[in-house]
Formats: sequence, structure tokens, C-alpha cells
Amino acid sequence: MNPPFSFTIDLPVRNDWANIDLVRTSILNCFAAVFNDLDGCHAFAMVAGELLENAIKYGDWHDSERPLHLRVWGEQHWANVQVENPVAPDSRALQDLMESLARLETFRSAEDAYRAKLLEVAAAPRDGSVGKLGLARIAYEGNCRLKAEVKEDVLSVTSHMTF
Amino acid sequence: MENLRAGDLAIDLVQPLPTEPLRVVWSGKSSDRNPGAILDPFFQQLLSAAEHRRVPVQLRFEKLLHFNSSTIASLIQLIQDARQRRVELTVVFDRKLRWQQLSFDALRVFVGSDGLFTLRSVEEVP
Repeated sequence: MNPPFSFTIDLPVRNDWANIDLVRTSILNCFAAVFNDLDGCHAFAMVAGELLENAIKYGDWHDSERPLHLRVWGEQHWANVQVENPVAPDSRALQDLMESLARLETFRSAEDAYRAKLLEVAAAPRDGSVGKLGLARIAYEGNCRLKAEVKEDVLSVTSHMTF
Repeated sequence: MENLRAGDLAIDLVQPLPTEPLRVVWSGKSSDRNPGAILDPFFQQLLSAAEHRRVPVQLRFEKLLHFNSSTIASLIQLIQDARQRRVELTVVFDRKLRWQQLSFDALRVFVGSDGLFTLRSVEEVP
């Protein structure tokens, strides 16, 4: 019988945009050392990068010393990526995120949801008001299920991937 | 028009002959927080150059390692602008890289009957 196969990465990340690519690249390299499937590793790193970008863009950073938190864990055939960040529970940003996640679930497939989002971006005014393309991308390119939870003033967004 | 360098991203313009398409070769990574601030002015110059020279634009992504979703949003705007200005735009990517296949195949929603926007995998172009 094979020994149990599992992995965990658990680290605080300073709220600095430059850290996103450092962490994304580190995850890519770590998982390239674990799995044969380099394409899967790219998808995994993309998911972490997009979640970290959202956390920095839409988190509540009035206390700039608070870190965000990244956890990656899984076994042979599944993995989770979770990012936690401080959030204002009554903020518009949080409401938009929850609505975006709920909307993803209304489509027949993640691919349909992503294509619809691309068209929405194309039709929108160029003021950045249509965001959250990253969430649809995670679901489609990462083949992930996404869920979000708020406890007190911390938002955690978790993506679940099977392979 | 000059090549673009921004952080880990490099975009190089290649046009061996004045009658050939303007080839725009992306390499490195595009992960800026607001890539539109860098890319949009570059794209406007690119479309003006293509209009002036009356040649198509070919965006080549096969050497690109990663881009974030904000970069995809900027690309969508370029596709819209090129269509509006009647500039032929082709996106070339590497279908063998799964992330590129997924990212670029999804852009087929912008392929129209006007023939102004096309997608090609790298093995289909010279």
C-alpha cells in the first residue's frame, strides 16, 4: 500500500502587489516538483495569483500591517487554494464578490460563464467598473468550484480543484 | 514606434518588410495591477501605425509565460478598437500550452463574420 500523499502550504503574505507574482511563481515551482502535469501546475498557480489579486484589490486595508493569508492543501487527486483577507462586512466590494460567485453558478458550465463575462467586459464602459473577470477565469481555466465565507471581518475565498 | 518594456513584460515590434503584418511579440509576464495604463497607449500607437502602413497586426503570445485577468480585459479593448478602426488583428498562441489554449480559445467569442479578428495557433502561421 502506498503511503498517504498530501501537501500543505500555509503562509501570511504582506499586502504588496509585487508579492503576488513571487507567490504565484513559487507555487508553480513547488508543484512542478510534486506533479508531472505542468499544465495543471500552471492552472494552480494562476488560481492563487488571481485570488491574491482580488484580495489586495478589494480587501479592507485601512490597517496596512494586516497580512493576507494563503493556504494550499490537497491530496493526490484534489487541491484547495484559499486566500483570506480583511474585509468590511457591509462593503460594496464584498457584495459584488458574493454576487459574482452566485452568478457563476447560474451558467450551464464554467466555460459559458467565462465567455459571458468576456462579452460583458467588452460591452462595459472603460472605467474598470466591470471587474471579477478573475473569478470566472479561475472557474473556467482552473476547473475550480469557488466558495466564499465571511467570519467577523475576514473573507476567505476557497477554490476546489480535482485532477 | 518603440518596443515596450514594463516590469517582467516585453513587447517587441517586428516588421521585416513594410508590406508585411506588424508582428507584436509578447514575452515574459504581464501581472501589473493596472496593465491598461501601460498597454492602452501602446495599443493606440500600434493601431495608428497599422492604419498608416495599411497592414494587419499580428499579436504573438507563444513566448508569454503568464498574464493576469486585467491584461485579458485590456486585450478585449484592443480587439474592440481594432474592429472599430477596421484594422485586421490576428492573435497567435501556442495551443500545446494548456493555459494558452484555454485563455485564447475563449476569445473566439469576438470572432465575427467581418474577418477582422482571427485566432491562430503558432503551428498554423509562418
